[in-house]
Amino acid sequence: MSSPEPIVAKGLGRQFGDNVVIEPLDVSVDRGQRVGIVGADGAGKTTLLQMLAGILDPTVGECRVLGFDTRREAKQVAAQIGYMSQGFTLYDRLSVKENLSFAARIRDVPDELYRERSERLLSMSGLGRFTDRPAAKLSGGMQKKLSLCTNLVHEPELLILDEPGLGVDPLSRRHLWTMLDRFRSQGLTMVVATSYMDEAERCDRILLLEQGRVLADGSLEELLRPAAGRVFTVNAGDTGRGLRELSGILAQIDSVHSVQWLPDHLRLVMNADIAENQLAELLPEGTHLAAAEPRLEDLFVLRTDRRAGEQQFPELARQDRGKEEGLVATGLSVRFGHFKAVDRVSFEAPSGELLALLGPNGAGKTTLIRALCGLVAIDEGNARVAGVSSGGGSTALRRQIGYMSQRFSLYLELTPWENLRFFANAYGLAGGAARAAIDWAREVTGLTDIPDKLTGDLSSALRQRLALACSLLHRPRVLFLDEPTSGVDPVARYRFWRVIRELAASGMTVLVTTHYLEEAAYCDRLALMLDGRLLAHGSRSSLNHSLGLEADATVEMLFTAAIEQAGTANSRALGP
Amino acid sequence: MKAHRLGALIVKESRELIRDPVTIALAVIMPLIMLFLFGYAVNLDVEQVAVGIYDLDNTPASRDLSARFDSSRYFQLEQKTTDLRDLESALQSSTISMGVVIPAGLARQLLRGDEAPVQVIVDGGYPVLGRLASAYAEAVIANFPAPRQSAVRVQARVWFNPSLRSVNFVIPGLFAVILMAFPPLLTALAIVREKETGTIEQIYASPVTSTEFVVGKLVPYGLVAFLEILMVMVVGFAWFQVPIAGSPILLLTSAFVYVLTTVGIGLLVSSLVRTQLAAMLITLIVTLMPSFLFSGFLFPLFTMPLALQLYSWLFPAGYFMEISRGIVLKSAGLEAVLPNLMMLIVYTVLVFVFAAWRMKQKVA
Amino acid sequence: MGIALFGLLRKELVQFFRDRLILTLILWLYTIEVVICAVALSFDVSHLPLAVVDEDRSALSRSLIQKFAVSETFDLKFQETRVATATDLLEKGDATMVLVVPAGFEGALLAGKSAQLQLLQDGTNSNIAANAVNDALQIVQRQEREALPAAGKKGVAVPLIRIWYNPDLTTSGFIVLSMIALAGMMVGVIHPAASIVREKERGTIEQLLVTPISTLELFLAKVTPTLIMGVLSIFPSLVIVRVFDVPLQGSLLLFLVLTAIFLLSAIALGVLIAAYSRTLQQALLLSFFGLFPLMFLSGSLTPVEAMPPFLQSLSLLSPLRYYMDIIVGIFLKGAGLAVLWDEALALLVIGVTLFIFSLWVFRRRVQ
Repeated sequence: MSSPEPIVAKGLGRQFGDNVVIEPLDVSVDRGQRVGIVGADGAGKTTLLQMLAGILDPTVGECRVLGFDTRREAKQVAAQIGYMSQGFTLYDRLSVKENLSFAARIRDVPDELYRERSERLLSMSGLGRFTDRPAAKLSGGMQKKLSLCTNLVHEPELLILDEPGLGVDPLSRRHLWTMLDRFRSQGLTMVVATSYMDEAERCDRILLLEQGRVLADGSLEELLRPAAGRVFTVNAGDTGRGLRELSGILAQIDSVHSVQWLPDHLRLVMNADIAENQLAELLPEGTHLAAAEPRLEDLFVLRTDRRAGEQQFPELARQDRGKEEGLVATGLSVRFGHFKAVDRVSFEAPSGELLALLGPNGAGKTTLIRALCGLVAIDEGNARVAGVSSGGGSTALRRQIGYMSQRFSLYLELTPWENLRFFANAYGLAGGAARAAIDWAREVTGLTDIPDKLTGDLSSALRQRLALACSLLHRPRVLFLDEPTSGVDPVARYRFWRVIRELAASGMTVLVTTHYLEEAAYCDRLALMLDGRLLAHGSRSSLNHSLGLEADATVEMLFTAAIEQAGTANSRALGP
Repeated sequence: MKAHRLGALIVKESRELIRDPVTIALAVIMPLIMLFLFGYAVNLDVEQVAVGIYDLDNTPASRDLSARFDSSRYFQLEQKTTDLRDLESALQSSTISMGVVIPAGLARQLLRGDEAPVQVIVDGGYPVLGRLASAYAEAVIANFPAPRQSAVRVQARVWFNPSLRSVNFVIPGLFAVILMAFPPLLTALAIVREKETGTIEQIYASPVTSTEFVVGKLVPYGLVAFLEILMVMVVGFAWFQVPIAGSPILLLTSAFVYVLTTVGIGLLVSSLVRTQLAAMLITLIVTLMPSFLFSGFLFPLFTMPLALQLYSWLFPAGYFMEISRGIVLKSAGLEAVLPNLMMLIVYTVLVFVFAAWRMKQKVA
Repeated sequence: MGIALFGLLRKELVQFFRDRLILTLILWLYTIEVVICAVALSFDVSHLPLAVVDEDRSALSRSLIQKFAVSETFDLKFQETRVATATDLLEKGDATMVLVVPAGFEGALLAGKSAQLQLLQDGTNSNIAANAVNDALQIVQRQEREALPAAGKKGVAVPLIRIWYNPDLTTSGFIVLSMIALAGMMVGVIHPAASIVREKERGTIEQLLVTPISTLELFLAKVTPTLIMGVLSIFPSLVIVRVFDVPLQGSLLLFLVLTAIFLLSAIALGVLIAAYSRTLQQALLLSFFGLFPLMFLSGSLTPVEAMPPFLQSLSLLSPLRYYMDIIVGIFLKGAGLAVLWDEALALLVIGVTLFIFSLWVFRRRVQ
């Protein structure tokens, strides 16, 4: 049986008004291939996927999916593919089973096939125990898995996934990929847009998209070839120099394209191939230099303008404030009705500590942060933030804390400048004091030239920096960051973490949550949460030790081990 | 159109609707509240107009005249004063709506057989009230002291609503207004919610056709709307004791067509906008406002300027209003309501065709 | 407190002017809606299509019909010879009244006997019907007085009706004023509700709650712009009022002050609605359903006097009712505070009570 190719696009392009989102491009995808689409924020990934799925008409060119024209035969295309959009496409008020059977029926799946497949899908996704639960009551990770099931129930030949891992905890994400791997072995063709590099690395072929153009197309090795021999890691070794000083020296070297700050070393990308020993001569005595395998992130870095990557960072005066000035929580509990969102959590983070709060969706991380900020009432126990009690959200507390919520809460109809000025006023700063604070915050966050647009029109990377700047204006002693890097491209994430580390080094206590586990390595200590309880709390090495892992085990291994250990203790690890 | 897909859509939609108690409560309670509010408040049968009397005569005859005002069901004696300024300020502050000035010498003039002028000052600030009050006052005074003997006997007969009760007129009109207020809004919000939450992308990326999608929404919401009109009709006729002159079957049949029109408008609105806020505002502008103001519900259409009369033809509430009032008050038969019924049918078909056409199966 | 409040107010104003939707809505309500309603809506009973059957064909019957023809109330549309064709017109709705002058009408009157006239009126719109019958009776009486000057003059009271403030009893002036009052009510409720709920939906309210801004400041910042806008929006309406020949008899300052007091209650309601809703949709539905009873119990659409006693007492709670008396009093009657003090006081009591209550609820719900 010679079936038509999954995707053949010719001169496919799309513009919205005058704005060209996808430049005309030619792509074809072979049967069984897994194609990853990576690119920075606003590169046009979603638009491309929507055109491939036939739910968005191209302005130029044409595309045939499984032999059907996406413009004229969109319904035939729809019948044979699965398309999982970035948002949630489940009906909140319908149960897991009802959502799945609805999806099957509108895709013409006969009843007997549905019964057999739904059982298989539900057990594979671990949703079998929750068939009667309304979709609204599932955790983010389970909702994604259910979405995936609804798109697999008609056993499509082609599956198109738009950022499947966004906002999903690492464990659920792993589960998701296990499912995808299983279907892949049955010959399913897949196109996946992603901002997780590990997801991209699971693909046979990667399209690197930038501003609507395909910059690179090929297997991972092919893509990485230009970066080969140009990536190095450096650490200070026994020179006693800090990373900061080291990066200052590296910035002076012309052939260095950019320097990225990683938890305990710097990662260099050079402008051209350079022999290791040649580079070593340029570095101070005693620094450890090693050639590194290029990764996709490096490719992104190479694509970024050198100047944009290199940011003049202001000197932050170190203010040591002693231990009691950081964060102290004792037996903290928050209840919503009968549900204990935070259950007797105790921990402390002294001044200047960078603490990562990790846990699956629905573990209670956001509620804990909101309780510490005084946004939700504490039912039991107490918390002191920068020496002030959290209960009741007093003005004294608010002066000491900065809070950046998951949604980057900014006024979208104000310009960035107006947002900054407003928040300066809100902290009682006016006139010269406000200007000075804004200048400082902009310098720290690298927002030196802010576009004169409304905040709603900015990319999420810029909004993220603006939200950080707004929460820094009053130089808080404790900073809370709730998933600050969600949906932001790798280069922007590198830069963001550099800022956060500098702030912590200056004596600010920073509590941060993230689903990008590798980012947790930037933090001094980790706290793991599950079902409202604090499972473990300590430095990475001490946690690895106590969990019986190798000393240099990754955060992901640590996370998985901790959750699984807790899971065997209380078989609800996959619970919402 | 495939039966199993349509079935799945209808089942899904009904489940969502049933599990949304707030919407169900709104759909049931709000029409009833509106019915009672309008039934009682939109009443132009004025009674008990507050009157102030300035009696300069102060004789048994003048007191008799005052007493006649007081005993009339149209008036209520609010103030008796001996100072004209009191009357003036009471009128200014709307404490009274009418002042009666009985001049000195009323009793004498009547005894002498002269014409005795009695001045009535009516507050023109509330014109509806003023017009009725002045007519009632004229009747009271002209029949004082004895009923006026008139050579011309006018035999006035009121057809269709002999008791001239406002509710008989208001309730059948309300059916048209209430049904235009809720079903379009509920339907429009239900679809736009799918757009806002993104669930509609699953529909786009499935073999469901736009007709199936539209019909899948129409059936459950049409059913809710039809139950609404049934409820409003039963309560309206029973509670307010409005007699139905014509055929209830014909009324229900026409109501069924009108239900489809209202749901269709909701579908159309939702196919044009992206956000629930926009859906709500547009629905208010194209349904509730015109059905209330430009349908002949309270304000007669024939006194409007021609341009606005033409504007009023754009909205279907007026057609059903005429059908409903025709059947309830004038016992109109199929023949009499047919032109308006045809208009509704054509309107409905157009709305559905347009909605299905607009409901493109694409993101943009 | 100063700087933060200033910053909040500036932010609110910038947002207000960037929010095209709300801005358009407000302008629309205060101008176009007012004009449309004033032009289109009228309780004036005029130009009713009249059908006449003159079986008498005498000088007197012609003179009577002429009087009907020239009256404001009736338009003589049909002259029929048979009663049956005339009643057909009534049935079809082409005519709303049929006047039948029977044969021998003039003869009977001149002979000093009583004569019959027949009026058939379409009663479907009871308001129109009652007024039409009244007007017709007056025309007949006038005709009778003219034709038979001696009749029935002995010892009777004669009503001399004088209409104050609005001698022609036109409704457009009243409708303009009530639309302005309704616009104030709607904007006053919807704008603060929308601006608070939007912050809830976007999550920016949490961002505000981690700043030292107090809830009182937040409350004031949400309330003040609406108050200012509500008072300023009066000015375009003043122009419209002029166009419709509604003179401002009383004091503009008093009007503005009382409008501000009235807006307090509306805004307080808006804040209450916002405090209890999570989404803009809920807030709009709630305000929509809250506004309805307030509007209907205010006398701005139908006379309060026509309501059953229970609703009349309920209407005493509607601030719009007092504001209607005030707006009509100041514009049409030239009333001053000396006359309107009790309405003003009622408005103030309701407004301040609601305002304090809404502040209390806002503080509890926002925290």
